Amino acid sequence: MNTVVENLVEQIKQSTSNQINKKILREKTITDLHMVYGNGMFLISPTILSFVATWPDETLYLEDVYENPIEINRDEFLYNARLHYQTVMNTWHQKHNELKQIRKI
Amino acid sequence: MNSNKSEKSRGVVVFAFNSENVNYVKIANQTSLLIEKNLKLPITLITDSTEHIEFDYDRVVVVENKHDNFRYSQHNEIVQWRNLDRYKVYELSPYYETLLLDTDYLVLDDTLNKIWLQDFDYRIMEESFTPNGIFNRAMGMASHNWLWATVVFFKKTKHTELLFEMINRVQKNYGYYKSLFKLEGNYRNDFAFSIADLVLNGYTTDKTRYLPYRMFTVEDHVANIEYLNDKLLIRQKDRVVISPLQNVHVMDKEFLQSENFKRFIKDVTA
Repeated sequence: MNTVVENLVEQIKQSTSNQINKKILREKTITDLHMVYGNGMFLISPTILSFVATWPDETLYLEDVYENPIEINRDEFLYNARLHYQTVMNTWHQKHNELKQIRKI
Repeated sequence: MNSNKSEKSRGVVVFAFNSENVNYVKIANQTSLLIEKNLKLPITLITDSTEHIEFDYDRVVVVENKHDNFRYSQHNEIVQWRNLDRYKVYELSPYYETLLLDTDYLVLDDTLNKIWLQDFDYRIMEESFTPNGIFNRAMGMASHNWLWATVVFFKKTKHTELLFEMINRVQKNYGYYKSLFKLEGNYRNDFAFSIADLVLNGYTTDKTRYLPYRMFTVEDHVANIEYLNDKLLIRQKDRVVISPLQNVHVMDKEFLQSENFKRFIKDVTA
């Protein structure tokens, strides 16, 4: 009987919090959303994607996370940034679903 | 530019000064396997002990270190902490571009390699998060936040040389700086790097000298870390934390010296 109770206690001790795991996964995603382009570092977000997509000229200057103005070739940047964003967000979605499937005790 | 510019331009430096409680050389042997696999850079070990060196380092720099320091461990015990003289890395690093890592930092992906591509003198880890939330990192009740000397990029430039000279000054005059900045506790490299950075930037913070993302830190006891289905299962006393494969700062030195840790390294580097 004792062993059963002890096992139960052990199982409960090993419980996991979906909220904590989700936050850790989100932090990793934010890290991964950083993209290097032209000696600059950009956090790729929907805002930056929309802005660059609507810019009328081929060349523009964007401020990176280190407060440097970086010369951007619109089409090249947009292609790389979209690809990067989609890859990272797909991974987040996939990992998020996997976390949901991990049964909480 | 520094005149000691090395032919090998880029690499990682780790310090390992063994204490009564912790064999840092043994830990470095394991964590260097992760650095090698994920960053693919040469690694230099700076140590005062030639025993137990198993990893095939690019260079081993043996220095004399007679300094002792003490602090509370995560188990709330007073432990010997031989963390002094970190400022010497500027001279001792054979690389023009150096990534200085603590031995308890597990490099499990290649995100750090993105940093090399920008122009900078130095870049220090600013923020950290734990499973419990953002790490509270005030150097004292009425002091500034500290930076994490756990992960520091630097290039051998004049500005960086000043940074390390300032760190040396803080270490040697810790009583003065402790009083000036209202620091609490014994000397920490995190404090010295933070104060040096603050002073060098005219007593202001300059975010462009910091890394753009947060470091994942596990500060509490770790029973085991398992690598399963591309995830890390971090088993603690009363819970399991599930993380995607990412860099982790593990503060539990007892775990880092355990057989469980060796097993984890074997699994994750296979």
